[in-house]
Amino acid sequence: MRQKLINGLVGIFVAMLLGAGVMVMQGYQPIETYLALFNYSLGNWYSIATTLRNSVPLVLTGLSASVAFASGPVNLGQPGQLLMGALLATVGGLYLDLPPAMLLPILIFLALLGGALWSGVAALLRYWFNMSEFITTLMLNMIADFFTYWAISYWFFDKAAYSPMTPPINQNGWMPEWGDFNTSVIIMFIAVLVVWFIFTRSLAGYEWRISGQNNLFARLGGVEIDRNYMWVMLLTGALAGLAGGLVVLAGPHRFIKDIGANYAWDGVMIAMVANNGIVATLLYGLFFAILQTGALGMELITAVPSELIMVIQAVIVLVVVAGRGYLEILASKLAERRKMRERAI
Amino acid sequence: MNTIIEMQGIVKVFPPNVVALNDVSVDFREGEIHAIVGENGAGKSTLMKILYGMQPANSGRIRYRGQDAIFHDPGEAIANGIGMVHQEIILIPEYTVWQNVVLGVEPVGLFGRIDEKEARRRVQARIQEFNFNLAVDAEVGDISVAARQKVEILKLLYRDVSVLIMDEPTAVLTPQEIPQLFNELRRLRDNGHTILFISHRLDEVMELSDRITVLRRGRKIGTVDTADTSKEQLAQMMVGREVIFSPLRQEQQIGDVVADIQGITYIDAMKRERLKDISIRVRASEIVGVAGVEGNGQFELVNVLMGLLKPTSGEFFVCGERLTHASILDRRKKIAFVSQDRASMGACLSASIMENVLMTHHRLNKRFSKFGGLVLDYAQANRFTEEVRQKLDVQMDSRQAVFRSLSGGNQQKVILGRELSLGAPFILLDQPTRGLDVGSIEYVHQQILRMRAESYALLMLSSDLDELFRISDRIVVLHRGRIVADLITAETSITEVGYFMLEGKPNATKID
Repeated sequence: MRQKLINGLVGIFVAMLLGAGVMVMQGYQPIETYLALFNYSLGNWYSIATTLRNSVPLVLTGLSASVAFASGPVNLGQPGQLLMGALLATVGGLYLDLPPAMLLPILIFLALLGGALWSGVAALLRYWFNMSEFITTLMLNMIADFFTYWAISYWFFDKAAYSPMTPPINQNGWMPEWGDFNTSVIIMFIAVLVVWFIFTRSLAGYEWRISGQNNLFARLGGVEIDRNYMWVMLLTGALAGLAGGLVVLAGPHRFIKDIGANYAWDGVMIAMVANNGIVATLLYGLFFAILQTGALGMELITAVPSELIMVIQAVIVLVVVAGRGYLEILASKLAERRKMRERAI
Repeated sequence: MNTIIEMQGIVKVFPPNVVALNDVSVDFREGEIHAIVGENGAGKSTLMKILYGMQPANSGRIRYRGQDAIFHDPGEAIANGIGMVHQEIILIPEYTVWQNVVLGVEPVGLFGRIDEKEARRRVQARIQEFNFNLAVDAEVGDISVAARQKVEILKLLYRDVSVLIMDEPTAVLTPQEIPQLFNELRRLRDNGHTILFISHRLDEVMELSDRITVLRRGRKIGTVDTADTSKEQLAQMMVGREVIFSPLRQEQQIGDVVADIQGITYIDAMKRERLKDISIRVRASEIVGVAGVEGNGQFELVNVLMGLLKPTSGEFFVCGERLTHASILDRRKKIAFVSQDRASMGACLSASIMENVLMTHHRLNKRFSKFGGLVLDYAQANRFTEEVRQKLDVQMDSRQAVFRSLSGGNQQKVILGRELSLGAPFILLDQPTRGLDVGSIEYVHQQILRMRAESYALLMLSSDLDELFRISDRIVVLHRGRIVADLITAETSITEVGYFMLEGKPNATKID
């Protein structure tokens, strides 16, 4: 636990130091720039609310990847699952006319369903044809990408628009705002809590964790690997779908082209940095949201381009992931030396 | 006799907190067979690996032929005349004997072409010089394990090694092959070679060695002349207390058939017949041992019984319930299983001890879950782990510690605790004492016999004949996927079983 925290903090510190180096090399003021960055993402309630809202798709897709990787299945279909979740929620919002108390839960359910259906396709392909989800989920991403593009260009195209997008959804289906805060953040925290509980406290989660670490042992122990695989794929797909749904319900309230942005791949990256830990995924997701939100401010206030944030993110990933192995070596070296000293006394 | 190697004050620490060698000083004389004995984890292999340059010591010095010598890698050690034969044999099966021997130091002719004739001639000369019974052109994949071991030795002799370290060389051999190896080692000694022989089998050590160094938990207990010691004394030095070498089995009324394996045949994907018409009946209060040289169908038999492989034909019943095609979970209601490979089958090394103890119980035992089997009851799981710890006297830091942090013996105790408390009527044990030290082996045997006394039916596969003779009631012998003998332990001998293991038939030329 402490080691993980040190690992993360050192990674972030080194990455920011390197970022500062890059800035100095190009003639920018690093301290001023970082102040602008954090001021824009955390400086006041409005900034914090924006950062939190931006963290929703990052944390949820990260959670999807973490649970999948820690349980064994290499689900890399978060981008596609996110889009399908977003599309289904949008379609529900276009055609259903219900009071918010009923419409919101239905739309959230549709988002979950959209993601789960899409990951379910990959799961079935493996079940029937023994096709690796590593490949199928990646290919299904492309299909989802073009399918949703086609859907918003023809089926659900907003005739009034100049570029591919759907009309806005029913106002009753918009995630309510409490002052500056968007309630999609609450849904995210609930999802994190539920997933944490399933993963660490439930019987199924126990089996998933053990299967992810030693599949043969779990199998011999009587764990039904195939059934668990299906559930993990459906759950992680649903999480990615939820991310897509919430982006629509909280943000533009319609499906716009490229609505998925790079959220899902950032999520996969967050899962890797977090070493597939649930709490760590939440924390890194929030931190990456701070960086990404602050990047805009950084660009507005100083002359530093927002792309610099991508450099810092990449360096964090490198330092934290590489540092994890190195810290272990370091710790064992220290233990070795301590033991030798103890012996000498 | 001259001292050839002196190791002084060797200390080796394995992080986080294992002192593998604690100030060990030992000397080896030129032209002796020096056995290094000790339980698993005593530090025998580590000591030799330090000498051989495979691992650096944390402190201490090594003098070789009167000079300070620390080898940084095995190549350096070989160049200086020290070679090591490891437990697992590492050769290229597709290459012939001479190709394997010269690999790395091939005599080359014009333009770096390998001079095959010369290489073959040199290897042949070495084979004759040491009187090895080896065909120089045989493909290594086709020759026996004993012959492969000889190739390993030959590789070192070819490189003019004068000190030969042998790491448990008899572990892979059948009883019949051991005397030949010993003769060859003696001949090498008589030629002036020094042989350092790692073992934990006291009979062998007494027979072969000139001097014996005993290690216990990383410390040297002493070096003795073989002529002045006894097996009992060595055992006491090794374990630190007296060990009784007697059969532990007590007469007991055998009950009804519990496990019924009927004509199991298994043909693998390459159309090779791995198991042929295997029928074994195991009754309550009975331990049936399965003997055989490794690779004669043991792996397939275990996998078929556990449901990892589908048998081509045959049936398998436990307590009258047909399990031939049952799911693993259904099998586990009837079968407790201790695998030979703790790391891949028996446990999850990176999970906590508690999570390892919980496996299978979480599905079969209602007390470990709440809310209709959805949520784990951690309080119960912790309590159960504590029960296992106390009952089997497991040495552990905490229940949450990773399983990897336990010693081999303690790992096996946890696994036994988990499996034996399942209450399944049939207990399948695949090499349950592999890699354990003498003390732990004794403990495991007691647990197995306790289950026998409690009317469980046990099937135990083992490549250790002593073990089979100590605790099983019957011994069946597997040879090339067939059962070639079904013998009552009390009415057979290690020699007889050994012949069945090797030849698949009784010894035609009976000596007695």
